[in-house]
Amino acid sequence: MMRDIVKPTVVLTAIALVCALLLSHVQKLTAPAILKRTKEKQVQALTLVLPGFTMGGEQKVLVDGVEFTWWEGEKKVDEKTVYMTASKTVKGYAFITKKPGYSGDIESMVGVDENGKITGLTVISQTETPGLGARCVEVANRKTMWDLFRSGKPAKDFGDEARIPWFQKQFEGLDAKVKIGVLKLGVWNPGMRGSLIEKNAISAITGATITSSAVIAGIEAGMARLVKARSMQTSAAAGGAR
Amino acid sequence: MNYWKELVKGIWSRNPQLVIGLAFCPTLAVSTSMSNALWMTLAATFVLVCSNLIISSIRKIVPGHLRIPIFITIIATFVTVVDLLLNAYQPDVYQSLGIFIPLIVVNCIILGRAEEFAQKNGVFVSVLDGIGMGIGFGLTLTVLAAVREVLGANTLFGYTLINGMEPATVMIMAPGAFFILALMLWAMNVINSRSKRK
Repeated sequence: MMRDIVKPTVVLTAIALVCALLLSHVQKLTAPAILKRTKEKQVQALTLVLPGFTMGGEQKVLVDGVEFTWWEGEKKVDEKTVYMTASKTVKGYAFITKKPGYSGDIESMVGVDENGKITGLTVISQTETPGLGARCVEVANRKTMWDLFRSGKPAKDFGDEARIPWFQKQFEGLDAKVKIGVLKLGVWNPGMRGSLIEKNAISAITGATITSSAVIAGIEAGMARLVKARSMQTSAAAGGAR
Repeated sequence: MNYWKELVKGIWSRNPQLVIGLAFCPTLAVSTSMSNALWMTLAATFVLVCSNLIISSIRKIVPGHLRIPIFITIIATFVTVVDLLLNAYQPDVYQSLGIFIPLIVVNCIILGRAEEFAQKNGVFVSVLDGIGMGIGFGLTLTVLAAVREVLGANTLFGYTLINGMEPATVMIMAPGAFFILALMLWAMNVINSRSKRK
């Protein structure tokens, strides 16, 4: 009786221990390369959420006991008045934020301009249900069956809509300072843009409102932290000048 | 025991997909391009050989009723190793194979060979079995991928074959995989039944 319990327990424990040891070593070995890759991805994400901006360095601060990563960028904009064209510099901010979705954290990077208007949003990592919540990274497929058999190319050119997932695209132009609403209108298309910006709302992923709300909750939390991080920065700068 | 026979049986007479009928999921899903197919073959063969090696060497101390959880633990460990290595050093491959790397854990060939062969046979012959089965799996996969990539994308290893020709995109989609795999199974059966009649 004892043998039936002790031997299997010992064998199973020993195997699990050896496996864990091996994995921890491989993890240690590969961690630097994977970290480097993540950084490269971050740079790509930055150019996506703040297009045309020259980015400053990454800044990490503790806000409310949570590590908050953000960037400040600049962009020259030509302002045309009746008399002259003046060039002025506007600032943009990008930050990383995460909130739990349906199954695990959804991490996204958000770019906002000085006035809190979203310039771009990209979901960096998510583990949502494939076919439902995971559609937050789905690129809208506008090919028809006929296109597929004929040549594989859609009849019309959809520009960069083909590159940026529709769920993320619809955040562009929304106001991040006030609450963003969730409407159930089905798959977003460029025709909805005007009315949605007017209502400051997005169209949720069908059957995955939790995912959609989690991304919005992430934006809200991130914006609050961005304001705090910026005020910390200015007070620190003032302190240094004194 | 005939070592040569154990090595080459996976290629034709006991081909994992075409004769035993295992591992259709990765075969259908990953055969969209030659590079995908080759990397999948490498990853799955690595896991298969390593798991056969370990399982055959500990087969005498593994309690019979606990063998499945132990096998799965060992297989999952090697799959995680492959997953981490690809993520670190072959990010493009990692991106394009995506979920199919972690899914090697449930690849029926690997658990099937552990159950059917490695737990009953010696270490050396189990490694040979793993290599042979890996090659057989890879051959079916690459032949399928070559046909699909040439017809469906007009490329091979990503290089364009005939300038300006419109490829038959349906071959790169799921239906194309079923068409070609069915033809391969049919050809295999015809050849085998003819050689049996002789």
